[in-house]
Amino acid sequence: MSTDLLNTLVTSAIWRAEQLDEQSISSALAWAEVSSLEEKLAKAIPGSQPEGRIARRGAVRAALKAGDIERARALVERYVAEKDATRALKTALRQLLDDDARSLAERFRHAANAVQDARELARWLQEGGAFGLAA
Amino acid sequence: METLAFYSYKGGVGRSLLLANAARFLASLGKGVVALDLDFEAPGLHYKLGHAAFRESRFEGGAVPYLVATAREATSPPPLEEHMIEVPVPPGSGGWLRLMPAGPAPDKAYWAALKQLGEKIRFDDPSGQGLMPLLDLHARIRDELKPDYLLIDARTGVTELGGLATTILADTVVCMFVANQESLDGTLMVAEALKAAPRLKRQGPIQVIPVLTRTTSERPTEGPFAEGVKRLLELATRAPSRSKKKDRDLFELPHDEVHGAADRIAAGERTASVVSPLYKSHLELFQELFPSSVRPAAIGLSNPLQAE
Repeated sequence: MSTDLLNTLVTSAIWRAEQLDEQSISSALAWAEVSSLEEKLAKAIPGSQPEGRIARRGAVRAALKAGDIERARALVERYVAEKDATRALKTALRQLLDDDARSLAERFRHAANAVQDARELARWLQEGGAFGLAA
Repeated sequence: METLAFYSYKGGVGRSLLLANAARFLASLGKGVVALDLDFEAPGLHYKLGHAAFRESRFEGGAVPYLVATAREATSPPPLEEHMIEVPVPPGSGGWLRLMPAGPAPDKAYWAALKQLGEKIRFDDPSGQGLMPLLDLHARIRDELKPDYLLIDARTGVTELGGLATTILADTVVCMFVANQESLDGTLMVAEALKAAPRLKRQGPIQVIPVLTRTTSERPTEGPFAEGVKRLLELATRAPSRSKKKDRDLFELPHDEVHGAADRIAAGERTASVVSPLYKSHLELFQELFPSSVRPAAIGLSNPLQAE
């Protein structure tokens, strides 16, 4: 798939996801699609180029909007480890993860210091089900 | 704020009645108490606490509508007061009691809200978006209402929310069961899971207090049931300072046809304790659960513990 076509698909996928957000309809799947397309763009364009950096940030940002923190973390880890990743890109990618945690803490300010706990517990729940009994 | 969750693996053990009595009892002794109904699939705490106010005000709030609103408009969560009912306590007691029911059950609007909640919140969402509203509610009750106690009615059986109410929100879990192997085995399994479950960083280890309910005769001293009770008591580590009972004793609540069957709220009634063995047992249990709070004479209750 050409990068032109991928760019067109990304643009239209972002538009669809934003429309769903505006109408308060669950947009997680739409953002997951955006992240997947951005990831494909990132594969096609090296991180040394501005379009490559935009695609990498876009893939991570969309994964976060899809609520897929593990995918976002994995993408950041992968992009940061790339040989041609600039210092600015590494900082920007890590900042996206930090911003996401901060935004959650701001939304739920009484439990602001429990964001990391909540994520670890959610993973425990996902793996083991209720009471962790299925682990 | 100390958080106690009342849990049972099987239903029909008198869990909500015990919680309601504990809440009114503590409030009568001058404590600030919040009762929270997290039994979303079969809510009923509002029938035992504040039911008149609930009906008269055509109350539409509660934990489910609150969580739905928080998930949708998390930047400005609704005021807690809109989702709570003030439950009357004896005048002059100095205490207070607020109930956050699950919602306006059994109205259709409640089940619609519960469906919405299921669509909006996944507790196992690894981003934390699902768990944060629940943790925030717990912390918000602590910060804004500053109660001495938060008493949670946890869902029966093995469910995500029942698990969260007990493993993550509670300092102490009162595990209620009846005298049959099925009820005991399930309780034992859950008690073991509770002890192994992760805790929030600021939390200490969880306390498990097993309570045998609806007893009609002496429990067996040998065999699988007795062995199971022994194992359950081994899991039930108690903080040394809170227990006046001998360690390794099992609390038993007798079957009470009058009060148990009617699910009558007895706490605060002057005559209840003398006619109800169940209420007398509740009082004994409260001494274990809330040792610094129990002064029955202070509120004019006839004290069955001294009467004997």
